[in-house]
Amino acid sequence: MSEIISVENLSFSYGGQKDTLVLDGLDLKIEQNSFVAVLGHNGCGKSTLAKNLNAILLPTGGKVYVCGIDTTDESRLFDIRRRMGMVFQNPDNQIIATVVDEDIAFALENLGVPHDEMVKRVDEALAAVGMSEYKHHAPHRLSGGQKQRVAIAGIIAMKPQCLIMDEPTAMLDPRGRKEVMATVKRLKEEQGVTVILITHYMDEAVQADRVVVMDDGKIILDGTPEYVFQNVGLLHSVALDVPQSAELMYRLRKYDIKVPISVLNEGDCVKVLSELLENKIDYKDGAFDI
Amino acid sequence: MIKDITLGQYFPGDSPIHKMDPRVKLLITLEFVVLLFVVNNFYGFAVCATLIVAVTALSKIPPKTVLKSIKPLLFIIIFTAFFNLFYGGGSPVFESVGWLRWLTWGGIRNAAFMSLRIILLLVGSTFVMYTTSPVMLTDAIERLLGPLKKLKVPVHEFAMMMTIAMRFIPTLVDETDKITNAQKARGADFETGNIIRRAKALIPILVPLIVSAFRRAEELADAMECRCYNGGDGRTRYKIYSCKSRDYVAICVMLIVTASVITLNVLI
Repeated sequence: MSEIISVENLSFSYGGQKDTLVLDGLDLKIEQNSFVAVLGHNGCGKSTLAKNLNAILLPTGGKVYVCGIDTTDESRLFDIRRRMGMVFQNPDNQIIATVVDEDIAFALENLGVPHDEMVKRVDEALAAVGMSEYKHHAPHRLSGGQKQRVAIAGIIAMKPQCLIMDEPTAMLDPRGRKEVMATVKRLKEEQGVTVILITHYMDEAVQADRVVVMDDGKIILDGTPEYVFQNVGLLHSVALDVPQSAELMYRLRKYDIKVPISVLNEGDCVKVLSELLENKIDYKDGAFDI
Repeated sequence: MIKDITLGQYFPGDSPIHKMDPRVKLLITLEFVVLLFVVNNFYGFAVCATLIVAVTALSKIPPKTVLKSIKPLLFIIIFTAFFNLFYGGGSPVFESVGWLRWLTWGGIRNAAFMSLRIILLLVGSTFVMYTTSPVMLTDAIERLLGPLKKLKVPVHEFAMMMTIAMRFIPTLVDETDKITNAQKARGADFETGNIIRRAKALIPILVPLIVSAFRRAEELADAMECRCYNGGDGRTRYKIYSCKSRDYVAICVMLIVTASVITLNVLI
């Protein structure tokens, strides 16, 4: 697999060189068709990083290459943005038109796609997010999850190689979150899109191939979910949670109960616990009075 | 009250009226508005009203909704009607009652005439809003004003601004509701007191609303940039309009209506 994004020693500040750095010497390489979750508490620079990946913001220092293109190369700005589709938190603020299909066509109109091709791509994009039946609806009458899927379709229509999502589920109810996550995973599998998901939800991060944890403009942890969520203490120290099952294992291990370190979903957790109870592992009194 | 403003209240549909070329629709509406000022007798209004009833039926928009478009301007209609009562002339309605001598048949006729004109004007012009998506509407305006681009008039930019403004009306209405409720929950009182007090009570709604509108604008600008927005140059169109037979039929209908109104004007 080749790299789609290569961030080299990136630093960024909103007020020029003298201001405090929001991103501070960040290195990151992301491979094609991977699913990377980016975690970090508010203000750690996640969104700033995302905006640096598609040239909405330009580096104060260092370099960002996407698909081999330097993001500071202004002549290729649209090449970059077309390849790096970006979805924001609030679906209301990214839908431009008042009818679903017209909104999805917005990016295509901007890119000067010929009409016949445009009609085809709008239909494909709607089908890809499972919203075909809402083609002629008014966006403000859709549910949050549906709106966000429309926003994703508007990006997918550009046929991006990478989907950067900045907390796309933060404003949605649990059902909307599920819809959006299922859509994103399907796009990754079926269309080979690289996904960068910035999120606050640990259960979403667990579904990624790779988790990157940021704090204070730097990457402090980077690896598979299994690896990252072993570092419960470190994650707590930067004000992050871990998935509940990982938290449980972490606390059990504090009492010298030998449970595996990387248990990330409920199913595995139940299995481990039942094994633990059946084997009647010798634990001290009060071990569970946590 | 806020929800009654019909601007940008598009009723999605599949009727022949919806499918008409928005440019034709817009021009016909303009013609209709002009025609309403040409009319000088009630028979002319009857013709115009018949046209509106026919269009309502064809477009499958509930008549109630159509009539609702009058509500926000009801006050102006009553106001106009009231003052027109005095400018009638002719014989008084009640000859024997001295203090009512100013009320003349001519005045009543004038009042009815002006109210009818405003009502038809409102209803007629909101049809374009109801049956054309705002995007199509601004598209149509942009195309009709296309020649002005040569004079460096930023037609595309204005059209885009209109589209966005219309798109955000429902969003901001919802937000206003939310803020109002939030302020009510904190004990704000919008219902009592004189008009100045009530106007002052609106400040805690307007400030958060405007702040949030700015935030939305910023995010929207980012989202538009992410989708490669770069002004009007080199853009293609998703919607392509071409005059079809239904547009020619509409133009013919409008010509017949115009002709009958003018004939009635001359005859009566």
